[in-house]
This record gives sequence, C-alpha cells and structure tokens, in this order.
Amino acid sequence: MSAATNSDVGADAPAVHYLNHDKSIRSWLLTIDHKRIGIMYLVSVSIAFLVAGVLAMLVRYELLSPGQDVMTAETYNKFFSMHGIMMVFLFIIPSVPAVMGNFALPMHLGAKDVAFPRLNLASYYIFLLGGVLVVIALFVGKVDTGWTFYTPYSERTSDAVLFMTMAVFVAGFSSILTGLNFIVTTHKMRAPGLTWNRLPLFVWGIYATSIVQVLATPVIGITMLLLFLERLLGIGIFDPALGGDPVLFQHFFWFYSHPAVYIMILPAFGIISELIAVFSRHPIHGYRFVALSSVAIAFLGFLVWGHHMFVSGQSAVSSIVFSLITYLIGIPTGVKMFNWVATMYRGSISFQTPMLHALSFLFLFAIGGFTGIALGVLALDVHLHDTYFVVAHFHYVMMGGTVIAALGGLHYWWPKITGKMYNERLGQIAAVLIFVGFNVTFFSQLVMGSQGMPRRYYDYLPRFETMHEISTYGSWVLGAGLFLVMFYLLASLVRGRQAPANPWRAATLEWTHATSPPDEHNFHHTPIVTRGPYDFRAVELGGGDGHAAHAVPGTAAPTEA
Amino acid sequence: MGSSTVTAVHGEAHPAHLQHHFVSSDQQFDAAKMGMWLFLVTEILLFAGMFVAYTVYRVWHPEVFVAGATLLDPLLGGFNTVVLLASSFTVALSIHYIQQGNRTGLLINIFLTMAAAVTFLVVKYFEYTHKFHLGIFPGEHYAYSEVSMPYVAQFFSIYFVMTGIHGVHVLIGVGLFIWLAVRAIKGHFTAEWYTPVELVGLYWHIVDIIWIFLFPLLYLI
Amino acid sequence: MAHGHHITPFRTLLQTFIALIALTVVTVAASQIHLGPLNVPIAIGIAVVKASIVAAFFMALKYDNRVNFLVLAIGLVMVVVFISFTLFDTAFRGDIENVDHRTIDQIERTEEALKAREGQGPGGG
Repeated sequence: MSAATNSDVGADAPAVHYLNHDKSIRSWLLTIDHKRIGIMYLVSVSIAFLVAGVLAMLVRYELLSPGQDVMTAETYNKFFSMHGIMMVFLFIIPSVPAVMGNFALPMHLGAKDVAFPRLNLASYYIFLLGGVLVVIALFVGKVDTGWTFYTPYSERTSDAVLFMTMAVFVAGFSSILTGLNFIVTTHKMRAPGLTWNRLPLFVWGIYATSIVQVLATPVIGITMLLLFLERLLGIGIFDPALGGDPVLFQHFFWFYSHPAVYIMILPAFGIISELIAVFSRHPIHGYRFVALSSVAIAFLGFLVWGHHMFVSGQSAVSSIVFSLITYLIGIPTGVKMFNWVATMYRGSISFQTPMLHALSFLFLFAIGGFTGIALGVLALDVHLHDTYFVVAHFHYVMMGGTVIAALGGLHYWWPKITGKMYNERLGQIAAVLIFVGFNVTFFSQLVMGSQGMPRRYYDYLPRFETMHEISTYGSWVLGAGLFLVMFYLLASLVRGRQAPANPWRAATLEWTHATSPPDEHNFHHTPIVTRGPYDFRAVELGGGDGHAAHAVPGTAAPTEA
Repeated sequence: MGSSTVTAVHGEAHPAHLQHHFVSSDQQFDAAKMGMWLFLVTEILLFAGMFVAYTVYRVWHPEVFVAGATLLDPLLGGFNTVVLLASSFTVALSIHYIQQGNRTGLLINIFLTMAAAVTFLVVKYFEYTHKFHLGIFPGEHYAYSEVSMPYVAQFFSIYFVMTGIHGVHVLIGVGLFIWLAVRAIKGHFTAEWYTPVELVGLYWHIVDIIWIFLFPLLYLI
Repeated sequence: MAHGHHITPFRTLLQTFIALIALTVVTVAASQIHLGPLNVPIAIGIAVVKASIVAAFFMALKYDNRVNFLVLAIGLVMVVVFISFTLFDTAFRGDIENVDHRTIDQIERTEEALKAREGQGPGGG
C-alpha cells in the first residue's frame, strides 16, 4: 500500500478496489486475498446449491402423487441421496463460514487478511477437489445410501460409494483447514483495541463454529477411511457379517455429524445477531450471553450425538443420557432467542430485505428448535423416528435457519462484496415468497410425519396424497423465490446502483472503515478500536462512511505512526 | 491522520520472512505455532476414532486382545519405541541448536531424525511381511490357523489400521525432514527464523506420542 | 513472549530422553508380571506419563503460550468424551430386552458363520 492512495479513502466509488486492481484470470485463481477467495467459494457453493436444489424440486415433483410420476424408484433414491450429500457437504457446511466468514471475519477483526492466506487458498482447492469427486461418483454409479452412509448397506451397494466417501474425506480437510485458519486469525490478528468483548457476534459465531470444525471433522475422516477399507479389504469393524458392529459406525458418523449440525447453524446465529442489532438500531441485548452461548452450544453439541440412534439398538443407558443432554441444548439456544427479541424491543426497526430474512429466521428456527426438543424426547422419538417429522424438523433448522440466515447475510454484505445495491423491492418480495413457500412445503411434512409417513420412501399410501400435494406446491413457491433472488442479484451486478460505503449505517469495521467494495488490503489504516461493535450512536454522530476523515468517533485511524 | 499516516507494519524494520499481513515476527511465529497445535489436535482426533474402536472391541472381547498381543513381537515393538523416542530427542535438539544459530547442529540432528524414521519404517516393513507370510491379514482375509478364535480378525484389523495410519505419518515425516534438510543446507534457517523446524518438530512429537500409546496397547497388554 | 523464544537447555532434553527410555523399560517389565486386571491401567498410566513428558519438555508446552496448552486440553477432553460416551452404549448393549438391532435368527447365523470360518483351521474354536 502506498501512502498516495490515502487522499481518496472513503470516496463512494473507489476507482481501484480488490475486484479490479488486477483483472487477469490468474490473479483470481491464485489469489490469496480472503475477499476474492470468499467470492470463489460463493460461486462454487451457489452452483452446488442450485444443482442440489433442482434435485430436491424433482424429488418433490415425483412425490406429487403416489406411484411413478417422472422417475423410477432407483433414480429417486439416487436423487434424494445426492440432494442430501451435496447440500450438507458442498453447500451448508462451507456456505456461511467459507463465504461470509472469509469475506467478513478478517474485516470484522480489522486485519489485512486471515492468518494463513495460502492455506486459505489451498482449502478452496481441496473443497473443489471434493466437489469433483462428488461429480465423478455421480457418473460412476448410483449412491443411494442417503447422506448418512449407514453400514452395512453402504458396503453392499454400488462402488460409487467409494468415490463419495473419498469426496467427504477430502471436503472435510477443507473444512478443518478453514476452521483452523479462522481460530488463529481470531486469536492473533485482532486490531489494536479490539478485545474479546468488542468482537462482533458474527466473529463469535464463526469462532465457535471453527472449534467444532477442528474437533469434529477429523472423526468423519477416519470414519470414511474405515468405510473405505471396509469395502476394499473387509476389515470387519462395521460389517455384521464379519463380526463387526454397524451401530459403531453410527456412533462414528454422528460424533461428527451432530456437531456438524452446529457447524451449519452457529454461523447463522452470528449473522442473525448482526442483522437484528443493525436493523433495530439497538445494541444487542446481553452481548456476553449471546457470545458465550455460541461456545456453550459448540461444546454441548459434542455430547448429544446418540439422539440420532434411539432406535438403532444402542443401550438404554446411552439413550437416556443422550436424551437428557439434548434438552440442555435448549438453554443456550433459548438465551439467544430471548436476547434477539429483547434487542428489537424499543429498537427502531427497518424492514429491509436482510431484516425480513432475520425475522423469518426467528420464526422458522423457533419451530425447528421446538420440534428438535420434541425429537429429543426418548419416548416420542421412537414414534417419530425416520418419519417426515424428522425431515421437516431438520429442514426447518437447516433451510429455515441456516439458509435463510445466509440469504440475510448475503443481502447484508452484498453492497460491500460487489459495490452494488440490489433491488430492494424485489428483495422484499422474494423474502416473503421464500418464507411462505418454505412453510407450505415443510409444515405439511410435520403433519404427515406425525401421522406416520416414513422418510425416504418412493411411494406412499393414498391418505397422504393431499399433504404431499401441498408440500410439492409449496416447493414451487419456494423455488420461485430463490430463483428471483438469483435473478435480481445477478442483475444488480450489471445495472445496480453504486453502493455507499455504509448503506445500513452499521458500526462494524468493514462498514465504518472501508470503502464499498474494499481496497485490496481492506483498510487504508489499521483501525484502532475503542468501542463495541454495536455502538450505533457513534455512527450517527458522524462519519462511518468509510472515509478516514469522517471516521466514527472513537475508532480513529492512528494520528501518526 | 493525514496522508503521511503509515500502518504499524511499515513503521518497523521489515525482515524478509515477515509476511505483509502480520505486524511482527512474534505475531507471525505465534500464529504459525497455534495453527500447528490446532492441526495436531485434529491428528489426535483422527486417531481417537481408532482408539474408540480399540476400546469397544477390547471391552467386548478382552481375551482376543491378549491372544492377539502374543502374536506381535514386543522386542521389535520395543526397539521401534526406543528409535522413535531417540528421534524425538534429536528433533528437539535440532530446534535447540538452531535457536542458538548453530546450523551444523541443526543439520546433523535433522539427519539423525531422518535416519531414525527410516529405521522405524524398515522394522515395520519386516513386521508386516512376516505377518502376511503367516497369513495374518486384516478382517475377512485373516487366515492364520494357529490362533483362530472369533474376533481375532478384528484385533488385526485394528492393529493394521492403527499402525498403518501411524506408518503413513512416519513416511510423511521422512518427506518433511528431507525438505527441512534441503532448506537447512541452503541456509534458510537462522536463530531469528526457524518456524518450519519448530512446526515439523511438533508434528514429529505427536507421531511419537501416538506410538507411545500404540506400543503397550497392541504389543504388551 | 515478547522477545526471543525459550531455549530448552541440552541437559533438560537429555534428562527427558533418559526418563522416557526408563519408563519404556518399566512398561515392558510391568507387562511381563501378571497383575490381573491391573495390567491395562498400569500400561495406560505409564503411557500417559510418557506422553505428558514429551508434551511438556520436547514440545516445550511448559514454557509456551498457555493458549496452545488449552488447545491440546480441549482436544483431549473430546477424545475422552468420544470414548466414554460410546462406551455408554457398547458396554451396556442389550440392557433392556428386545432392543438388539438384529433378529435372533440373524445373531445365530452370524455366530455360526464366524464359527464355520474359524473352524477351517485345526485349532478352531
């Protein structure tokens, strides 16, 4: 960075920024800039979401009426498996941390980059390799195990499972390296004055997520490796025909995959904390409780995996222990919900698109959370296990929670990422469409599930037909909403209005100290932080438009080195 | 706050090894080391999966593990333990020397460590081939008629997978020591900057620690 | 940690190495004596001591930034969680009737199949 650029700091449309300082393909593919890597993730993850989403629409279409509609049972098994695997491993897990975490975390910390930029790029390519292996598996044969790969079926079915386990193994590495990078970044790269109590809650969310990624993901690695060896060499750890124990596989799988649920939801909590505070123009209520509840959820999340296995034949002792601890998760989650609602109280709420998604999140996640507690009740779960109730529950959490929060975050940071404003009116329409479509699709599944409709079935009894129809129609509304988002976001790149540095008048560093889009090195000066992340009064008092001369009081750049 | 403002990075002397996004060498070293520790924890959790399998099957079939251990040679296992401990000592010494700027000491100890790692692998190779010769294979291919109680195949599955993954780590270690040796010969490391030596050292100690557990669990009890 | 890094003295490193070798001899010796159920905890206990010595002196955790120790400690807690919570299941499997995931038929067939495989050798059973 040369001193000469300082004169145009904060101009609303910087002439040179991270997107255009070097336009060659090479400068993108080999970039170590966390913002560009975030964009590459955004593109890849969106493609995975598109493909997996279309698969879901097709699966839903097949279920419109009993019997065969558009595909055979084999294709149906393959499609729902692919939908699950791609959504989980290629979309949700990397979505918020790798896209928005990459883009926003270093800027929230006032850092120039993550601690290990080259490792960051490597994680991206490892993720890409995982994606390629998934595609290979698609063409080699059928993967019809669902996303859980339960033994012994996964040892008997097509060899494509070998590629799929490899893909999960490889994608896991990417997740580990990203988490490792973010933890070290949060510990070692904070700007002067940015104490732990001044971290934006998004950082806390990503930090808690990263802990889970580092601690849990290696276990899916060894699990996939053992499954691989089980198929190749018949080592007999999981295969009952050789004296192994298939339930042990489930322990291995869920030791990762339950915490992985928190890898999916914790960053979403982080985004929601940002959105609710900013669009209520009110400091977050109970900052410390919200921050530490993320860490508490991360740790409790490791102690509950057995609630996926209540009917697997595990011991009653373990079912009871896991059921009890599962209830405990409700406490830190409740702490968050109450604090978000309390933040809005006496706030000055503006219903812009990101906030609409945040409110939508509060509603949907409450349903997702409560149905989760219901499923954690041992006796009730025996009835509801493997029904549409479970399917609806985790879609309320993952789609209604994570995806909606991710959409909120994407809209929130879109002006900063691209320097363009999207069409607000279309954004609001899409948010409502998604909310309505989602509820129609999945609330009907809650009802069906409680009536006993089993999940993953190709065909069903005539009495479920009405509910399946409603659910499928809902999926069309939901799909329309999502395609609308894709349309107006892409359109904004071409025709969008130039974004100001701080369109939301937010108080975190990426808005107050950087232009839209930011400079290659994020900030023109390393910020010195003397206030909390939700000090909106400071923003109102002046500055906060990314211009050094108008910097938010108390966050001034160093006067002289 | 004017145009002459400089960030902290540019206010200081700028050593060649310091990357642009760090403020100081200490920050860079601490970050690298913490990153390495996090990586080591992932290694521990990778092996934890195998330790869980070991514990579960041992609780179910303790007699099989006693019988299985008799088929392993504690002399070779013990020898390999001493070899790895010695290599841990030399790798610690290599850091000790480069911290004092002693490049010869560094290089000698890297080579000693590498030699120990190769020795370990050679011994392991002979152990494996001997087992294969007897028909001791993992899982369903197990065909050793002298000891053929139910679930002994599981013991050897666990043995081969655990020592196999560990062996792969030793092999990676050899590669890393070759890389370190090349860089040391080129004179890349100084008392001020020796981060790769430190990190590979940490990695190597974890490989040693894993073996410290594998040896008694598999060979002795 | 502001300036320079801790240099562990040669003497300390050598003592560490000697202690580790001594403990290896102890663990081998202890395994040769039949102490019944005590053999396993003794072997694991010695291994834990050895690992702690390596971590404290060779890996210099004793002199290091405490956050690195915290990282290791949290990782180890997770290992304990993984093992113990899995044992809640496997050590108590079948503690109420009629919850085995296999049918009685399947269990019998598995046992027979295993016996038949093992029975191929002379020392079968």
